[in-house]
Amino acid sequence: MGGYILKRVAFAIPTLFVVSVGIFLMVRLLPGDIIDILFGGDLSASEEVKDQARDQLGLNGSYAEQYWRWISGIFQGDFGFSLRNTEPVSNIIVDSLVVTIELVVLGLLIAVVVGVPLGVISAVKRDSVADYASRIGGLIGLSIPSFWLATLLLLFTSKVFGWVPPLTYISPFEDPIGNLSQFILPAISISVFTMAIVMRMVRNTMLEVLGQDYVRTARAKGVGRRLVITKHALRNALIPVVTIVGFEIGVLIGGAAIVEIIFGLPGVGYTLLQAIFGRDYPVIQAMTLMIAFTFIFANLLVDILYGVLDPRITQE
Amino acid sequence: MSDEPTSESPAGGELDRRELLKKAGQVGAGAVAAGALAGGATAAPKRRSATPTIRRGGRLIWGLESDPAHVAPFGGILTANHWAKEFAYDSLVEWDRNLNVRPALAEKFEIISKTAIRWTLKRGIRFHNGKEVTAADVKYSVERMLNPPLPGSISTVAQVPAIDRVQVISKYVFILHLKQSDARVIGFFAWQRYAPIVPEGLYDQINVARNAIGTGPYRMLGYEPNDRVEYVRNQRYWKSGQPYMDSMQLKILGDEQARVAALRAGAIDGCTLTVEVARSLANDRSLRVLKGNNAAFRELQMTIKTGQNRPWHDRRVRLAVNHAINRADIIRRVYSGEAEYSGFVPPGYGPWPLSDKELREKYLKFDLPMARQLMRDAGQSRGFEVTMTTFALQDYPLISAVIQSQLRQINIDVNIVAQEAGTFAAANGLGTFDWDLTGRGMRGDVDGYVAEFHPAAPVFKIWYPEYRNIKAWRGIGNGRIQLDPAKRIPIYKAAQRELLLNPVQIPLVAIKKYQVVRTRVRNMYVAFSDFNTGLRFAWLDR
Repeated sequence: MGGYILKRVAFAIPTLFVVSVGIFLMVRLLPGDIIDILFGGDLSASEEVKDQARDQLGLNGSYAEQYWRWISGIFQGDFGFSLRNTEPVSNIIVDSLVVTIELVVLGLLIAVVVGVPLGVISAVKRDSVADYASRIGGLIGLSIPSFWLATLLLLFTSKVFGWVPPLTYISPFEDPIGNLSQFILPAISISVFTMAIVMRMVRNTMLEVLGQDYVRTARAKGVGRRLVITKHALRNALIPVVTIVGFEIGVLIGGAAIVEIIFGLPGVGYTLLQAIFGRDYPVIQAMTLMIAFTFIFANLLVDILYGVLDPRITQE
Repeated sequence: MSDEPTSESPAGGELDRRELLKKAGQVGAGAVAAGALAGGATAAPKRRSATPTIRRGGRLIWGLESDPAHVAPFGGILTANHWAKEFAYDSLVEWDRNLNVRPALAEKFEIISKTAIRWTLKRGIRFHNGKEVTAADVKYSVERMLNPPLPGSISTVAQVPAIDRVQVISKYVFILHLKQSDARVIGFFAWQRYAPIVPEGLYDQINVARNAIGTGPYRMLGYEPNDRVEYVRNQRYWKSGQPYMDSMQLKILGDEQARVAALRAGAIDGCTLTVEVARSLANDRSLRVLKGNNAAFRELQMTIKTGQNRPWHDRRVRLAVNHAINRADIIRRVYSGEAEYSGFVPPGYGPWPLSDKELREKYLKFDLPMARQLMRDAGQSRGFEVTMTTFALQDYPLISAVIQSQLRQINIDVNIVAQEAGTFAAANGLGTFDWDLTGRGMRGDVDGYVAEFHPAAPVFKIWYPEYRNIKAWRGIGNGRIQLDPAKRIPIYKAAQRELLLNPVQIPLVAIKKYQVVRTRVRNMYVAFSDFNTGLRFAWLDR
């Protein structure tokens, strides 16, 4: 198992390196830089003044030099400073990460807690009303964009109940109920797509597993129906679901960006979007690298969990 | 004083433009000519009859449509930067709601030569930290206006007039020395955006990106990026009895529908909305819709570069485009009737813009036969193709589509390319475009609206080095050094007319700004400057 984990970690390092180079180059390939934004439109400024601004923001030097400054800084724990407000990028990441992690975890939790049972019921009661309802619900979940659902939920609750989630961030450690009331609508908004995927995946794999010999054998041995489903079938059916959940973390972070804007949550997505519009390179780079890292790390965890759930994989 | 509470009209505090222009004409820069701010050079706007009793206290939450990035006093490039900081700071002078110059931290000023202005500060005004405002603080502040430290940007220096230095004479008196005669100085300070007065040594005392120490009506408690700005009442505010509210939060809510939902639920007390959305709330009894002119106007910008022989390099083609554009149609189709004709100086900007009648009937007149004749005269009766870039947001794509259809009538085939703001800004800054459908915003002085047409402006060489307009250039040059506003007004009006007879940018329309507040918010108004200045004077009813 240890060798298996080491191998996976070893794969992650070059991936992160390639991602870092890609991110660095891509933000610079965007048309216009922060100097264009600063001086854009109708501001009257000479080239000398623009060069002065580049120096002021540390944008001088070749791309290679800039990349080296950035990457070597990261190894020293220095992500640089925001070009828009000179805040240390590490502070910006920490502040926004707390919000996004909570949103994504809650969204994932809702997706799994609702999606898995629905998938099981749908598979066990195949072609029943419950099955059809779950499948239609799944299709709707796949079709609804999270930002649309978020807006709809917000307008609905404001119009019907005269209520919107609290606007100012509430720490879960200070006021758990207040925090939950703030995050529940955005979490539902981002969870629906993943919930539908999970539900459909569980249903398919459960149907497959329920037809396997070992399930039939268990039943023939007189094991109770509930035990067969939960212990024998579900555990094996969850293996591909775990993979999907790993991938969905990336999707959830992506969906969170717009949902954070809609609900006024100062998370990673919102911050990243602002940074992209402002061509704030250090923030874009650090945030994107962090998202990539999260994605890679989540997949690493999935791989490890895969090995735990199915020991044959580590042996291979 | 206009900043005292007034009763609100049934329309919700909409500015009466005629009244506004009249008042602005009377006093707009009268204070500058007289050199005295406190006295009778300015006429107080007419008080309305029923003045409701002001209720003090309460907390207001205002929805901001974008994040300010920082709240540093100097060098902020985003309008949102000033949205966030405007309640913390004051300057030497200020505008009232009709853009009349009023005394603020300065008691008076005196123009002692073409390049020197002597200022006297009011005594006893204190910063939020308790320190009294002195000439040394002004010196410190002006030095940072001229060279904004990070996180400000030196790009804003282009907005600063030709200030050379501050000479401190005594604790309350100083002389502002100019490099050359420059009439923009007073407007620059009245605008306040780039000219707040801060205590000496501020940058060494606090993190200016997240906090503020000024003399404004509200004391900033802090700014949380992408989240909110918190304010409490400045107990020592120099305007007696003001401000009226105990505290204020500016909550950043980028999504318009989120602001609507928050308004309906009472989670925020007001915000800015687009015309369609604001109108949809008109029947909500708990809300009041405010509208007003603001500095934003739209225009069609062209490049005239050396070595390129494009059809629009011919003045007649540009005039044909101008007269082929049906602005009334744009106002109806794009803005639901809520916009006005605009010259190079937008309507509502004090006494400086040309009259609506003059624009409609002469300079911006929709006259298709004339446009076709001009195209024929220029040898362009078969028309041409051109690419017009614009922002891929707000009303820009829509207005572009209307112009595209209108110009088809004189055989100009416009290819619209809608771009993300950064991409657009890059091309605009480098001048790598043929036509741009763009917008202009607030300026501290009228010069800011026409300066770019003068060869001395750096962008002139980038955008239209082959453009010639001697009469307009003379007017712009003279206007900038003429310190007497009474003499400046005809100079700038004449320059505008010359620019419209030989346009290189074609002004289109000025759009209205809408703000929606809960009915408990009183005395709020839509500020022409595109800031939320009305909140300084707002109070909360039961």
